[in-house]
Amino acid sequence: RYVRQLQRLQLLFSPTAADARGARQFVEEAAQDFARQHPDVVLYVSPHSGPGPAPVLRAEYLNGTVRDELIASKTSEEIVQLATKLANQSGLDIIRIRKPFHTDNPSVQGQWHPLTNKPSILTVQGPRLQPE
Amino acid sequence: LLLRAARPLLAGAGRGTGLSAAFSTAPPPEKKRWLRAYLELQRLQAPPQRRSEKPNWDYHAEIQAFSHRVQENFALDLLKTAFVNPCYIESEEARRRQLGLDKDAVALQLQDNAGLAERGLRFARAYLAQCFEGAYPELPAKGTEALVNFLTSQELVSYVAQNLSIQDLALCRDFPAPPDVLQRTFLAVIGALLESSGPERTGIFVRDFLIPQLIGKDLFEIWEVVNPMGLLLEELTKRNISAPEPRITRQLGVSTVLPVYFVGLYCDKKMLAEGPGETLLAAEEEAARVALRKLYGYTENRRPWDYSKPKQGLATEKAISSN
Repeated sequence: RYVRQLQRLQLLFSPTAADARGARQFVEEAAQDFARQHPDVVLYVSPHSGPGPAPVLRAEYLNGTVRDELIASKTSEEIVQLATKLANQSGLDIIRIRKPFHTDNPSVQGQWHPLTNKPSILTVQGPRLQPE
Repeated sequence: LLLRAARPLLAGAGRGTGLSAAFSTAPPPEKKRWLRAYLELQRLQAPPQRRSEKPNWDYHAEIQAFSHRVQENFALDLLKTAFVNPCYIESEEARRRQLGLDKDAVALQLQDNAGLAERGLRFARAYLAQCFEGAYPELPAKGTEALVNFLTSQELVSYVAQNLSIQDLALCRDFPAPPDVLQRTFLAVIGALLESSGPERTGIFVRDFLIPQLIGKDLFEIWEVVNPMGLLLEELTKRNISAPEPRITRQLGVSTVLPVYFVGLYCDKKMLAEGPGETLLAAEEEAARVALRKLYGYTENRRPWDYSKPKQGLATEKAISSN
């Protein structure tokens, strides 16, 4: 069955800073809908008063990766889109994928080795025929 | 604006790598630039802490999210008892006694998960044994027992539990939780599900989380067989087929350091199986293993496991009655 890999989202922002306006609007309008649509993600909203670090959305995944996304000067809709993007990701590192294909069954009839399709008489003296 | 955003980007050298740098309990914006590096070093060298001791943790919400993540309805109080381990209760009582509380306050009101874990283990073993008997009817009892033991072993169950975030929710004395604690907690979760939703849903749960761990595994990696030729002879006598005759089918590089022999097992002049090996004995043993795999139906090209929704509950009823 499908298990959503996002464990929890922490929304850290300041209630007075100007660039956290989008975060504040998100909390007022869209956060409850987001939480209702994703019941398996725990959403923590923690405003820290006073001038502090930039507003950030921290995502923690089931395999332990923690990903921070800056939400300074983003609108509420952009934050919703970002949150859904994080919710649909897995916690694997975002690195270059070496090849865009993978298969668990590389060979259906058996992998070729130098002795396939060669008659076995070539390599072994055949079974000794009984004198009749 | 630029200054405010730039500061956390500079100070968060370890943030991008996903370390446990707690943002909201970070020290207040330090005025001294030369102090920042030292404080960052202190934060990086701090010992790892449980997630429940870091900021932003709501146990009830996390447990509800867990039940939604697994798409199961749990009775929440059963689930909460499933996460309580006996080592946690002992350590809490010892701590309270050390703090000098009365006898009544020392005794915790919590029950531990030993009973639930035992029930979960029994159900999981019975259900898995029954699944394998249905899917591989030719496999002997020792084979199904080996498969069931592998699927309920400590490493596998603790790996599954780690990836379901059970290590955050489980209450235990040591951090990080040892694998037997994780195994016991996962089995207790299965037991809690058994009590809340009944055996059918629990069977589907066990099937969805434990059986995919068999993907890519070979039968004889899980089941240690010392004498495959003897086992093969027994199987063939049961089916009234004559004893197999080993013959060399192909050989390469006989006089080199790395020879390859393909030995085929023939019964009544028809080929049963063929296996490669470095020496003739190794090749014969491998051919016997291939023949056993074919007989038990555990080859690589067998039908994959059926994960569709079951229509009748007969199978799981048999599982409970055999408990």
